[in-house]
Amino acid sequence: MFTNRAEKLFVWVFFPLALLMPLLLDQNTYYVNKLATILILSIFVMSLDYLVGRCGLVTLGHALFYGMGGYLFVMLAPEYEAVNFWIYTFYVLAISSVVALIVGFIVLRTSGIYMIMITLALAQMCFYFFSDSTEFGGNDGVFIYVKPETSVFGLNLFDLDNPTHFYYLCLLSLFNCLLFFKLIMRSKFGRIVDAVQENPERTTALGYNVFHFRLASYVIASALGAYAGYLFALQYGFVNPSMLSWQTSGTALVMSILGGLGTLYGAILGTLVYEGLHYGFEHLTENWLLPMGVLIILMVLAFRHGLAGYLESLLEKRK
Amino acid sequence: MDITLFLFQLMNGVQYGLLLFLIASGLTLVFGVMGILNLAHGSMYMVGAYLAWYFTNSTGSFGMAAVISAIIALLLGILIERTLIIRLYRRNHLDQVLLTIGLIFVFNALQSLLWGNDPLGVAVPAWLDGAIPLTDMIEYPVYRLFVSGLCILIAIGMYLTINRTRLGMLIRAGESNRDMVECLGVDINRLYTLVFAAGVALAAIAGIVSAPMVSVVPGMGEHVLISCFVVVVIGGMGSIKGAFVGALMVGIVDTFSSIMLPQISSMMIYILMAVVLLIRPKGLFAN
Repeated sequence: MFTNRAEKLFVWVFFPLALLMPLLLDQNTYYVNKLATILILSIFVMSLDYLVGRCGLVTLGHALFYGMGGYLFVMLAPEYEAVNFWIYTFYVLAISSVVALIVGFIVLRTSGIYMIMITLALAQMCFYFFSDSTEFGGNDGVFIYVKPETSVFGLNLFDLDNPTHFYYLCLLSLFNCLLFFKLIMRSKFGRIVDAVQENPERTTALGYNVFHFRLASYVIASALGAYAGYLFALQYGFVNPSMLSWQTSGTALVMSILGGLGTLYGAILGTLVYEGLHYGFEHLTENWLLPMGVLIILMVLAFRHGLAGYLESLLEKRK
Repeated sequence: MDITLFLFQLMNGVQYGLLLFLIASGLTLVFGVMGILNLAHGSMYMVGAYLAWYFTNSTGSFGMAAVISAIIALLLGILIERTLIIRLYRRNHLDQVLLTIGLIFVFNALQSLLWGNDPLGVAVPAWLDGAIPLTDMIEYPVYRLFVSGLCILIAIGMYLTINRTRLGMLIRAGESNRDMVECLGVDINRLYTLVFAAGVALAAIAGIVSAPMVSVVPGMGEHVLISCFVVVVIGGMGSIKGAFVGALMVGIVDTFSSIMLPQISSMMIYILMAVVLLIRPKGLFAN
């Protein structure tokens, strides 16, 4: 399943450690919540990484789906009544897939720099729609007063209000997400997606409809991005327009490039390092943007293939 | 809407459009000639506005402040190109996106470190203060007319430079084939430095002249950057003519929609862009 050494090493170190984390932290609520957020972001960044790194479809509007995941829940769920988590997860995935199908139809007509900009514009449009709206709380967003319950056949599996339970839900989601993308990449579908990125003309000549494969990938990545936004909304109990802002998309792109584009596990690595640095710098200085910006610039100049690429070259040398 | 009010709004729209052109032309020039997507372009606009505020306060003269700020911006452009952008020419757009997002972070942090986060204001210089009566009821500020005039002058200057001079010829040649221009014995590196610095200066000049019209606030750069993207995409990436037409369209649509359709006014320019792209996927004046 995990072919190269760096990837194996990362997965074998990261997931067991992540499993133990709540115990190591003695269930310290603050840190467990913080880590859960990082896991959620990793799902979001991984879905973007698949799109940008694996399919060659560069978007600067992925936050459109992240925000949609949150807002869909707010729009669908009754305000003061606990709904079923599984059913609403299904709703969020299904509806965002349909929206992604429509949006994908528009944005995939373009490519390269144009796709960057049209995705950005569509996301901004959505951002302004929600930040100007009165029924969705404008800039302040909307609160989620009651969290969903998770019963299956009358059996409550876990409690979303419990930070440790929620943390494990996020970890499981992230692991499944990685596994899912890995399985896709190994399937026939994934090989054609690779071929589409390598050489669209030749793939067309082989009789495959390039557009269909891109659209399918776009829908998959968008639905998972929406799932991440849905988890984020459940964790914090609110949604606001900043989830849809271009800064959200931009930061996710930074994280995925930082981690190493197209490596999937690099998305986790990139998110971890970015958030770790963010946290560290924020405690050092109010102006955490300054060291962060300088570091990002230095990393672009120094690591051409992101942290994953660096890790791989390190392991290669030792062999 | 009666005719004078319409005229008044039209002038506002055109004025805003001309200002957007100033910023967007730099963005599209740098992209068209050098293939560099500079997300930090909006930050240059912000730098211009803050420098104008700072030097107006320290020298007491807006004119002097404007000249000093423009020179600093030009030098800043040269510095950034020589130290950072030069390493990106052979890289893909994603590395450019990442590095220039890093630059946005740095500029935002420096701005808040040096000048704080409170909104600042610059007074309109005395010799441009006042208003011209359009009708008995409505007056138009002289300063806005001055800014429009300046933008038009710069636009004409750019047109003549690109189409009528040897430098412009080299820029156009560099746009189509970098290696060929190099073979002809032209120092392409110096040309690129010049183009990038000019792009930075154009954005900064827009920031400088905007300072007395808007409040100088953190985040002003990002807001204007997104509008410029819309302009450049409508006009066609890399086309100066496209940037001009796109900027006027965006300026006018934005101004009128905020009066006539206030509910969706902030979405209007994106809708405009989506419509244009549906009809012409590469923009109006794409090569």
